[in-house]
Amino acid sequence: MSQEEKAMEAIKDALRALRKRHLLEEGAHAPAISALSRPIISQGSEWKEKTEKLETELQQCYKAQSRLSEQLVIEVAESRTSKAILQEKELLINDLQKELTQRREECTQIQEELEEKTKMVDVLIAENQEIRSQLEEMTGRVQKAESENKMLIDRWMLQKMQDAERLNEANDLYEEMLAKLKANGLETLARQQVDGIVRRNEDGTDHFVESTIPSTCGHRIHAHEGGCGSIIFEYNSGTLFTGGQDRAVKMWDTNSGALIKSLYGSLGNILDMAVTHDNKSVIAATSSNNLFVWDVSSGRVRHTLTGHTDKVCAVDVSKFSSRHVVSAAYDRTIKLWDLHKGYCTNTVLFTSNCNAICLSIDGLTVFSGHMDGNLRLWDIQTGKLLSEVAGHSSAVTSVSLSRNGNRILTSGRDNVHNVFDTRTLEICGTLRASGNRLASNWSRSCISPDDDYVAAGSADGTVHVWSLSKGNIVSILKEQTSPILCCSWSGIGKPLASADKNGYVCTWT
Amino acid sequence: MAKEAVKYVWEGAIPLQIHLHKSDVASHPAPPPALVLAPRIGYLPLLIPLIKPYFKDSLPPGEDSIWFDYKGFPLKWYIPTGVLFDLLCAEPERPWNLTIHFRGYPSNILIPCEGEDSVKWNFVNSLKEAQYIINGNCKNVMNMSQSDQEDLWTSVMNGDLDAYTRLSPKLKMGTVEDEFSRKTSLSSPQSQQVVPETEVAGQVKTARIPVRLYVRSLNKDFENLEDVPEIDTWDDISYLNRPVEFLKEEGKCFTLRDAIKSLLPEFMGDRAQRSGEERSIDDTEEADGSREMGEIKLVRIQGIEMKLEIPFSWVVNNLMNPEFYLHISVLVKAPQR
Repeated sequence: MSQEEKAMEAIKDALRALRKRHLLEEGAHAPAISALSRPIISQGSEWKEKTEKLETELQQCYKAQSRLSEQLVIEVAESRTSKAILQEKELLINDLQKELTQRREECTQIQEELEEKTKMVDVLIAENQEIRSQLEEMTGRVQKAESENKMLIDRWMLQKMQDAERLNEANDLYEEMLAKLKANGLETLARQQVDGIVRRNEDGTDHFVESTIPSTCGHRIHAHEGGCGSIIFEYNSGTLFTGGQDRAVKMWDTNSGALIKSLYGSLGNILDMAVTHDNKSVIAATSSNNLFVWDVSSGRVRHTLTGHTDKVCAVDVSKFSSRHVVSAAYDRTIKLWDLHKGYCTNTVLFTSNCNAICLSIDGLTVFSGHMDGNLRLWDIQTGKLLSEVAGHSSAVTSVSLSRNGNRILTSGRDNVHNVFDTRTLEICGTLRASGNRLASNWSRSCISPDDDYVAAGSADGTVHVWSLSKGNIVSILKEQTSPILCCSWSGIGKPLASADKNGYVCTWT
Repeated sequence: MAKEAVKYVWEGAIPLQIHLHKSDVASHPAPPPALVLAPRIGYLPLLIPLIKPYFKDSLPPGEDSIWFDYKGFPLKWYIPTGVLFDLLCAEPERPWNLTIHFRGYPSNILIPCEGEDSVKWNFVNSLKEAQYIINGNCKNVMNMSQSDQEDLWTSVMNGDLDAYTRLSPKLKMGTVEDEFSRKTSLSSPQSQQVVPETEVAGQVKTARIPVRLYVRSLNKDFENLEDVPEIDTWDDISYLNRPVEFLKEEGKCFTLRDAIKSLLPEFMGDRAQRSGEERSIDDTEEADGSREMGEIKLVRIQGIEMKLEIPFSWVVNNLMNPEFYLHISVLVKAPQR
């Protein structure tokens, strides 16, 4: 064989071998294996597809489930909250319902009450109206009654007055009749009628002594050197105290004209004096700003009343109790002193200096005459000004009470003497004389014990005596030559004493 | 007829009976072995998707590291299945009983395999080597587009000859002119593979053929293939990656014998005159001067043994693997010392 043929042979061999191999290997086994595996593979692939599908579905389902579960959670939470809210609301509703029923009950109650009340109110209104009408009636009646009453009272007053008048008339008649019986004395009684009301004044009748009109000079005593500024009689006696510029107080018997006693101890000129009701003490107001109280029987200074800052120009002692002393000084004060205590208990201030001072009968009121011509009344206990009267156009120099305390005599530098009623402070009488000029700021005048005569000294040395009831001069006493400083009438009716600037004292009977 | 051989080559498949190694059996009863048809030109790791479904229920839990063994002998995965079969089964065993392991990868013997990608990489690498040997450079392979590479590999994986035939000209591999193929294919239209290349026309052609030679040496002699002892260790197999210098001489045909002589001169010696039997050269019991030399017992290509007079060009053109390599399995008796 050629090489080529060999080659071809070899190739054919090879091909044959390949074919054989094929038959043995894949040819034989392939169908079986594929038959075996096909269903499995196909199944496998089927299953695979199925599983894939299912897996994707499952995934989707899971996703959906997760979403749903989230939603569910949210919903559950929301539903819980709404349940809770609902429960709350229910509770609230229950409460509200309860409240509502309560309120309704209350409301019905209140309505009932209201009805009751309205009924009551109606009733009350009706009653009220009735009562009002009654009231009107009553007021009408009352008014009528009042007017009637007034009328009645007026009539009654009128009647009374008429009665009084009649009584007066009767009294007058009676008195006239008495007076006819006792001509002189009863007239004064009749004069003491005030305001149509009969008042029988018996005060002054205790010591009623008829005073005589002095006309003759009894004694002329040289009492003091330099002038006698103040004289005063003891109560109901003829003993005269004199105080003068020589700082001495002397005691004279006016019947004999003899000196009984001298009281020393004053440091200044005696400007005014007062005697206690029991005649035991003498108080002197001096220019040394002091007051001196002597015990008459022993003659010694019992008290020295200090406190004034200027000369003491007037002093008076209470007639009621010998305890209270009132003094006026030129420091524009009035001081009230208690003699038992020994010091000033009250001080009253005023604008115008007081020249003369006098205590009322009951010892509670002080009368003071001032430089401005006013007469002032003061309450002792409070020191308050009670009233004020313009008595004179110039300074008041003297203030003196009548025996019964109803009248007060004031003398002024205008040479007018006024008599005031102490209760009403109305001028009862005014006395003047052409020749009568008051000598100093402290010229004292006086009233007679029977309250009928007024004696006042003048600058020319004469003493004028007026009658109060008649209002005219009854006597002019001439004896002294120097100006009269002070007059004093004895409590027993006579004598009248007068002191002058030279220190002479005259007694007149 | 030219295509016939190639068709047979591409369609060649070995029946495998895959047993799950008992150490990996985690179900009761043990799963039956899987029967698969493994393409000769394919690789063992590519079979895993087919095999795994059979065994996955029985696997113990954990990561899989799959490897095959034949009678305890771990199989290298980058050697085409057919070659392994030819080499290790002296007497073809059909079906071939292999054992699959899912655990305990023997890293000291086998290089790691990461699945299909490792195999593909190996394939492309071999392609480049082959082109380098043939053309002197591998730019054609490298210039090939990614999709074309993918398609080429897919066609190899699926055993799709038509797709491969379409794509492989893009590699512009020079092939050996082979008048014998032409002759055998007179009746059929000429395949493009055998178009004579420029380097062939009218010259003394020296082509280099990429060849992978697997030599299994045995210590003792044997009478029948059935008596061939089983292989223990890879040390008994020597692997030659040597191109064959193809001398195209006028008037002379370069035979298979010549090729093998060029590869294994020590075994062939003066036996060129001998005409090869279809089966094997098995007069090794003659002890004339051959005791010193080893003796080639068996030459198998693509599962067939052929006469050594067969023109090598025919062999190359028809029996080469898709990566343009010719795998030759040789069974020799080792020289005695």
